[in-house]
Amino acid sequence: MNKPSAPFLLQLGILTKRLLLRLSRRPLAELPNIFISAFFLLVYDGALGGVFGGGAAGTPFDFAKGNFLNFILPVSIVSASVSGGASGIYLVEDIESGVFKRYQGMPISKWAIILAPIAVGAVRVLLQATLIMTLGNFIGADPATGIAGYFAVLGMAFFWGMGFAGYSVAAGVRSGSSQGAQAATFLFFPALFLAPTFTPRYALKGWLESAAAYNPTTYVLEGMRAIMIEGWVLDVILKGFLVAGGFAFVTLTFAVLSARTATEKS
Amino acid sequence: MFAVEAKNLKKTFKSKDGDVEAVKDVSFNVKQGEIFSILGPNGAGKSTTILMLTTLLRVTSGNGSILGLDVEKEDKSVREKIGIALQDTGIDNLLTGRELFFTTARLWGFSKSDAETRTSELLELVGLNEAADRRVKTYSGGMKRRLDLGLSLVHKPEVLFLDEPTTGLDPGSRRVLWDEIKRLREDGVTIILTTQYLEEADELADRISIIDDGLVVAEGTPDELKALIGGDVITFIFGNDEEAKKAKDLILNSETEKNELRVTVKNGAEKIPDLLNMLSDNKLEVLSVSANKPSLDDVFLQVTGYRLEGAVEEEEDLDEEMSKNE
Repeated sequence: MNKPSAPFLLQLGILTKRLLLRLSRRPLAELPNIFISAFFLLVYDGALGGVFGGGAAGTPFDFAKGNFLNFILPVSIVSASVSGGASGIYLVEDIESGVFKRYQGMPISKWAIILAPIAVGAVRVLLQATLIMTLGNFIGADPATGIAGYFAVLGMAFFWGMGFAGYSVAAGVRSGSSQGAQAATFLFFPALFLAPTFTPRYALKGWLESAAAYNPTTYVLEGMRAIMIEGWVLDVILKGFLVAGGFAFVTLTFAVLSARTATEKS
Repeated sequence: MFAVEAKNLKKTFKSKDGDVEAVKDVSFNVKQGEIFSILGPNGAGKSTTILMLTTLLRVTSGNGSILGLDVEKEDKSVREKIGIALQDTGIDNLLTGRELFFTTARLWGFSKSDAETRTSELLELVGLNEAADRRVKTYSGGMKRRLDLGLSLVHKPEVLFLDEPTTGLDPGSRRVLWDEIKRLREDGVTIILTTQYLEEADELADRISIIDDGLVVAEGTPDELKALIGGDVITFIFGNDEEAKKAKDLILNSETEKNELRVTVKNGAEKIPDLLNMLSDNKLEVLSVSANKPSLDDVFLQVTGYRLEGAVEEEEDLDEEMSKNE
């Protein structure tokens, strides 16, 4: 008796569930990554919150008014989004172990095999972002857009995380090794720090200001900050969503094209 | 209709140093319900042939078909008909045996309840019930091979490809796997098995194709292949290599390997006294002598000009294991 294979979405669901099961089996490798961005939220707020307002009010270090937590929370969210970069490593692990080849020998979609780790990356980003926002809410973040603002930030983080997941998967299949996929995550650091990470863009100087203007992270951060600090400033928020969505589209396309080359029969 | 047909299969890989012909010209037909073994040393082209027939590698030239389906043009349909347990297909070590069977069954389109039923059947079939809820990384090599075999059977394939299924296993685990392969044949599954173990091919295969350097050099049932030798094989053991070489000059059509000399003759037992006398007259001392029916090892030596590496160790391992069991 031969069975036809499962429909595409079911295949994707089953493969995603398998990878999530794998993650749950090595909590010590995953938990620090999940908590690290939440930890940095506390550090940023503790270390810089006083400099930008609060205790520094009326001193030369009073650089900002309002709630610094609302300003810095998007940085933690964006840095959490790059954890989608682990997706490439999940895929390469399957290639290196031969599990990928087992699936290639079955009549299942290769796109399901490629998209499953990206979906896992997105789930992971959502989990981290939810944790950060819960912690932020607990320690005093109060988005100008209300609770709905949290969901808008979460949506933007999701697209941004998908973008990094796509990039990482492309790097993974192109390099064919977990070292290659890991090395490619080096890009995350300039992406995060050549941006108005700790001050508004107008406070940046010289080359950093120019670099920030070309860095897509800038627009994602500004979109999230508008939600948190200013309210529904649609043009800025829309720009954030467009940049995050565009980044996801470009890298997912790159991942799919790379995977097509890598999985083609030799 | 044949279960598997390979007609002038050829595979060339491009490399920096030029083209490499991994498979030069391989043809064979496999009948439905038989175990067909592809025997050859490492690098002979066995695995490449299997990869082409299982749709995982493009065919450079020639044709392959499974149950009448072309492996190049109808690859998805072919994959629905076949089960594959390759040397380099991996198993997710972080999952349990039960989870792996269930996940694979779901990917094959089984409903949740059917997947649970199939999982239980297969755990029973490959004898992994007790270890079903342990992570695979705790399994022994033999258990992993049985799991691998079970995973290739989830969708009840009509044709099963096993690429060196027992390589690296201890003799006991090897025999357990052999029994399972024989049982599958009884269920009507066609099995294509590559191996570098002569004993394995002899024990399991209905027919054998010997591949060397990308070419089929002999094909037939084990008995037909042994009949190629045309007599009994007498083996003389000398005190040193030099004496064996001197003896070779005296005995026509003999072959030496280190201090061993082998010659194929009709009625070996009758010829031994005459040959011993001749060697003795030439002051060559024989330490031991034996006459045996030809083995696949002898066939391999005859058709390729060299012995399959590890064949002696393999026989010794199995003999040792059998004597332990007695």
